[in-house]
Amino acid sequence: MLDYQLKGYHGIVLPKLDIGLDSSGPDAEHIFISHAHADHLPRDRNMHVYATPATSKLMRIRGFKGDITTLNFGQKLTLPHADVSLYPAGHILGSAMIGIQSDEGHILYTGDYRTPPSPVTEGFLHPDRVDYFITEATFPLPIYKWKPHEIIFEEIRTFALESLNEGATPVFFCYNLGKAQEVMHALAPLKLTIQIHGAGKQLCDVYTEFGYNLGNYEAYNKATVQDHNVLITPLSSLEQPMISNIRKKRLAYVSGWAAHESRRVQLGVDKLIVLSDHIDFFELIKICEKIEPKMVYITHTPNPKVVQHFLHEKGIASVPLNLESHDEE
Amino acid sequence: MKSEPNYNISSFYRFCTIVQQIAESRGSIKKASLFANYLKSLQESTDIALACRFIGEGAFSTVSGKKASIGHRTIAVCAAQFCEIDYDLVFKPCRTATGSSSETIEKLMENLPDATIKRTPKGLSLQEIESAFIQLESISKRTEKEALLQAFWGMMTPIEIKYFIRIMGQGSLRIGFEARSIINALSSAFDADTEKVRYAHMITGSLEKAALLAIENRLNEARFRLFHPLAFMLATPSEPEDIESIQDYIAEEKFDGMRCQLHAEGKKVKLFSRDLNEVTDAFPEICSHFESMHLAPIVLDGEICVFKENTILPFQQLQKRMGVKKPTPKLLSDYPVVFIAYDVLYHENETTFDLPLNERRILLDRICLGHGIKISRQMEIQSADQVHQLFDEALLNGNEGLMLKKKDSTYEYGQRKKTWIKIKKPGGSLDTVIMYAHAGSGKRGGTYSDFTLGISVKDNPKYSEQFIPIGKAYGGYTDDELKKINKAIKPLVVERFGPTLSLKPGIIVELEFDDIQINKRTKAGYTLRLPRFKAIRWDLSPNDADTLEDVERLYQARLNRKRRDQKAGNSLIDYGIKDLD
Repeated sequence: MLDYQLKGYHGIVLPKLDIGLDSSGPDAEHIFISHAHADHLPRDRNMHVYATPATSKLMRIRGFKGDITTLNFGQKLTLPHADVSLYPAGHILGSAMIGIQSDEGHILYTGDYRTPPSPVTEGFLHPDRVDYFITEATFPLPIYKWKPHEIIFEEIRTFALESLNEGATPVFFCYNLGKAQEVMHALAPLKLTIQIHGAGKQLCDVYTEFGYNLGNYEAYNKATVQDHNVLITPLSSLEQPMISNIRKKRLAYVSGWAAHESRRVQLGVDKLIVLSDHIDFFELIKICEKIEPKMVYITHTPNPKVVQHFLHEKGIASVPLNLESHDEE
Repeated sequence: MKSEPNYNISSFYRFCTIVQQIAESRGSIKKASLFANYLKSLQESTDIALACRFIGEGAFSTVSGKKASIGHRTIAVCAAQFCEIDYDLVFKPCRTATGSSSETIEKLMENLPDATIKRTPKGLSLQEIESAFIQLESISKRTEKEALLQAFWGMMTPIEIKYFIRIMGQGSLRIGFEARSIINALSSAFDADTEKVRYAHMITGSLEKAALLAIENRLNEARFRLFHPLAFMLATPSEPEDIESIQDYIAEEKFDGMRCQLHAEGKKVKLFSRDLNEVTDAFPEICSHFESMHLAPIVLDGEICVFKENTILPFQQLQKRMGVKKPTPKLLSDYPVVFIAYDVLYHENETTFDLPLNERRILLDRICLGHGIKISRQMEIQSADQVHQLFDEALLNGNEGLMLKKKDSTYEYGQRKKTWIKIKKPGGSLDTVIMYAHAGSGKRGGTYSDFTLGISVKDNPKYSEQFIPIGKAYGGYTDDELKKINKAIKPLVVERFGPTLSLKPGIIVELEFDDIQINKRTKAGYTLRLPRFKAIRWDLSPNDADTLEDVERLYQARLNRKRRDQKAGNSLIDYGIKDLD
């Protein structure tokens, strides 16, 4: 069995290896950050961590002050007790799965991941075999099965064009790191101007710097937002004046949780677009079968039982790791 | 992925895609125009009528009295079996996540390879779907019903399966498109006068029938026929202080019984319940009483109550009689019922619903006096204070509250704002624990505003859990209180599925309700009528929560509450008493 400790509200520490995964504090010497979403960042903003170059840039924008040693995908880092390599996770720009080779065996910690990968990430790649697989399971039920990106992107474009044809401003509610850029990438071929809410623009600049096409975008501007533009903003602005000031609008909620029909009435939106940057139930089971782990550890999940049941039927052992789930969608 | 068969104009699949579009569009005008265009595209009037029935009534017309009668659980178990998944281990958590059984089934049918392989969509027509419902209704054996259900699902796409299940439930399709909008769609599709379609709906009690009359340009023929129920007029709840010119209303006590429409002519009597189903056989003593009067053709609106030793007994006792088609002599003598009239809708070959209430009342009074029929007592009112006084009297008489009716109002079906008003008071309260929080809707979107409340069963050997649900509440708190709850639930979250949070017991709510009823289908065995927040008891802990035994005690107390003798004629005038003396 894997020797681990749960630290803080989301981190995992491997004490024998002196390694921390998305953890914070002095429990491990070497701390690896999988990606720049708030629920995976260390609470201590001044410590030393390892991360990919893109994650490093995004962490700085989000206020991380500590020392970051950047590590490229595929670059092996040799530590006293283990060798560590990062694998592209397909979740958001810079997102990495953390692979650890040691006497304990081969451990893979997924952070948050998505396969098929989001087109605005470095892709998705995993080691062929893993002994201990520590996986997220944000969408752990067979009601969750994602459509191919191209189909969803077409839905996004159609929604934007139809709204503009009706003389309405299309508004996409989505998380400002990851989802926002996917939607912008989908809209890019339309050559429209996309306005993005305050904090989001700087994050978009990092994507552009790394060579991803997000189309023409600018910061939200109250005076011009209704001039045939598209608005991208987090769900928290739903009841803010920013939205109520738009005279004629059509609202879309872009999230994995948009798979629940009840969200339409609950949020009062026109369109639910099911686009998630997390792995769906079926891909999760498939990858577990593929890498044949001795043990699957299920984290970041509302309910691990159904995944465990399906894995059990395939002869794969699994246990839940009771980290609190703080879903970012 | 299987390719979809060539769906034609009158296919059920096409109907379902339109229904989905209606669900996905906002505003009643847009929804109505989508449906109107769909109706216009249909060639046969049979299909138009079926589309109206399926979207507004169910598998069977509401006035047919028929139901496919397959329970929610049977459908869910059947679907789990079809998809080859474990009902408890897999289906139930999925349903918890979506909050809807039919939506869960739609998704599982779409996603699970074991389910997709069994389905070969046939592009069934609306008429084939109707015959499927008829077949399901005609079979009584459960196993055969299940097999048939699965066979039909095998010929459908997931979206067809979802709406097939919702239509079969005879309830709302949950697409925000109700009778009023369907009537608007119908009138615009067939260039018919909206008021005439509405009238036809009231007369026939059926959207399907109203549609047929509209298509065939026969709305003028929509005429009342005796022994065919009329849609009921309903009341809006309010407070006496909120009513303008209160002296324009008269008051009646609100009986704690079952609404009933009585049709009679000579020796023939029929009774209809509020959902327009015939309930004649359940109440033979009322029928024989009215048969003996040899009435000229008449329709009365009124209430059925259990009435014993001159006392009106609680609804809970009437429940023993409801749905029992051939009551035994013992049941009849234990729970004798009476019909108390309060309106007349048809008399001697004339409809009277277009007359003002005070004129209908004069007529009703004359008829009841002449035949010894019990009638509600009416009281003039001058002020809100007086309403409060009358309200307290009504409770002493064993009734629920008061009805205020506008004196000059005509009888119109549905809920006409502030024409009929009901005034009620809470039936009691319980200290309960918040078990689940659900994300709110509309202007409450983004916060958790709906809550499932539980009572304690930790010392009850029949249950393995600590708390079981007793009701779901979504109101009664202030904005500030709601903010405070939303903060307090954060550390209590155990599980989270998008809009639903499962919580550790921690927050105690004093829950107010109108009434307690026995309901064997729930875990507690009881349901609360209209549960809502009274107060959040930050001073209490889960150990202080009320128990199932407390619910039982409250139920019994309400049941056995003292009720005044009606000899004095407090709530009703019994024109029959003279004859008995």
